[in-house]
Amino acid sequence: MSTVQTAERPTPAPASMTPEMKKAVRRTGWVRRAPLMPALIFAILVTQLPFLLTIFYSLQSWNLVRPGSSEFVGLANYVNVFADSTFRGAALRTILITGGCVLIAMLFGVLLAILLDRPFRGRGVVRTLLITPFLVMPVAGALLWKTTIFDPLFGLLNFVLSPFGVDSVAWVSQYPMAAVITALVWQWTPFMMLLVLAGLQSQGKDVLEASATDGANRWQTFRWVTLPHLRRYIELGLLLGSIYVVNTFDTIYMMTQGGPGTSTTNLPFYLYQRAFLGFDVGQAAALGVVTVIGTIIVATVAMRLIFRSFSREDS
Amino acid sequence: MSTAAPGHRRRRLLARPGRTLAEVLTLLIALVVAFPLYWMVLSAVKHPGEIQSSAPRPWTTAPTWDNFRRVLQVEGLGGYLLNSVVVALAVVVLSLFLSFLAAVALTRFRFRGRTVLAVMLLVAQMVPVEALTIPLFFLMRSVGGVVPQLGLNHLGSLVLVHLAFSLPFAIWMLRGFVAAVPRELEEAATLDGASRFRFTWQVLFPLVAPGLVAMSVLSFIHAWNDFLFARTFIISATENQTLPMAILVFFSPEGNDWGAIMAGSTLLTIPVLVFFVLVQRHLVSGLAGAVKG
Repeated sequence: MSTVQTAERPTPAPASMTPEMKKAVRRTGWVRRAPLMPALIFAILVTQLPFLLTIFYSLQSWNLVRPGSSEFVGLANYVNVFADSTFRGAALRTILITGGCVLIAMLFGVLLAILLDRPFRGRGVVRTLLITPFLVMPVAGALLWKTTIFDPLFGLLNFVLSPFGVDSVAWVSQYPMAAVITALVWQWTPFMMLLVLAGLQSQGKDVLEASATDGANRWQTFRWVTLPHLRRYIELGLLLGSIYVVNTFDTIYMMTQGGPGTSTTNLPFYLYQRAFLGFDVGQAAALGVVTVIGTIIVATVAMRLIFRSFSREDS
Repeated sequence: MSTAAPGHRRRRLLARPGRTLAEVLTLLIALVVAFPLYWMVLSAVKHPGEIQSSAPRPWTTAPTWDNFRRVLQVEGLGGYLLNSVVVALAVVVLSLFLSFLAAVALTRFRFRGRTVLAVMLLVAQMVPVEALTIPLFFLMRSVGGVVPQLGLNHLGSLVLVHLAFSLPFAIWMLRGFVAAVPRELEEAATLDGASRFRFTWQVLFPLVAPGLVAMSVLSFIHAWNDFLFARTFIISATENQTLPMAILVFFSPEGNDWGAIMAGSTLLTIPVLVFFVLVQRHLVSGLAGAVKG
């Protein structure tokens, strides 16, 4: 694995080159790469423009209710954000929802990927069944959970649990966080499973053979051979999963509307309330920027913590 | 086949009862996971009175097509479908082309700030969409002043905004694939007299095909399922609305038509499912490649 990384690293130009030679190499280099750069520049432009726009708006006081009220106010919006106790609560819940969903989904994903890694009759069908939550529109998925499974009167969960004396629990209003996280885990497990499965299938069979020959049992092989190999796949899954789950909106909008009270209001939903119900564009933009920075910090710290345990064997 | 032998032996190492148990367990989990989807299809063919019942039955004795009929009778549905297909395909084709070229540029060329650019792409993806919707609305209005086809009320605005949200992910995925293609291959192609253009399109492009497949699945799902932007950008031009908007008709303050909503959701899921089944074999190897390098 380390060889791949070193091969990737740019090799410095040989020291024997004179500055003129280097300059010439660089010039021909730019001529050769010119045809490809427009695509990159366009991609950067299209993806960064909305972000830059957000930063710009976050420095403005701009409420849509008062036309022409737009003016530069510096960091005032940010001061408001941090003074806002609803924001702090929403930030905490965002971490809880994201962390809970991504970790549980990854756990299930690894388990299912291991089960799916061996050929058996009907594997294609089972794999397709397992992937379906990923294919349903998030709006429809959340609706399905709320109305057909968690509903206190008509819900399937109460119906199934009724022999055990549980039959009138209003799941979404009594356990709002658990309900939201359950629906999200359901939606995200397939993605994690696919990534880990990809990792398992890219593992060389000879390595497993060798470890079996050396007398390792199945758990030892998994712990010391397979798991380190899967590390990059798990890492990528957690990273990409977090980026998407942090921005969860549809599920919360459809299931709880952030409630009861603010008990499931995460940052995107709070932001939506500020922007679309309060029409406060500047404040919402500042919230967005803070969310991004928060995401980066939390993701970095979480990654370090999670991978400290088995980072020594790899890299 | 020498590769088949070790796999065969490994399978025999597992005890038979354990294997059967694992297979049964997998099947059970798969059924539980897919159950809400089954319930969606089931509700779509149930009579309205049967959907909300305190004793829900996991089957129906009198399936009906009435719910689907009501969905198919929504005015302008054909146009909505066409719009959805046009937007999703345009996003897939454009992001395929752009993300491939951008990934090659980002992987093959060394230039100052390369890593910063790659990270910036990912950071842009972290901005909550809700924070961007209003700024993007004004941006699209200005764009529409210059190029009407890309502005509000036009499908172009949807293509542009979905492109912006699927490109970063696509470029990140393809980076791994491009990096995995050995440099010697390019040198060999150059020695054989192939131009850089020919090398990029005739050698590199087919080699990263699994990645392109995985990437196009994700962009397709993203564009197809979009609700928020279709709702915000297409305000007055109803002829330019997309398919998810058709389901909105069945939500009303007097009571939602659950049968039609479920039938509509079922119809919306079918194209994604078909697209996925067609490419699923390549998807796993596609995701595997994304991590290399």
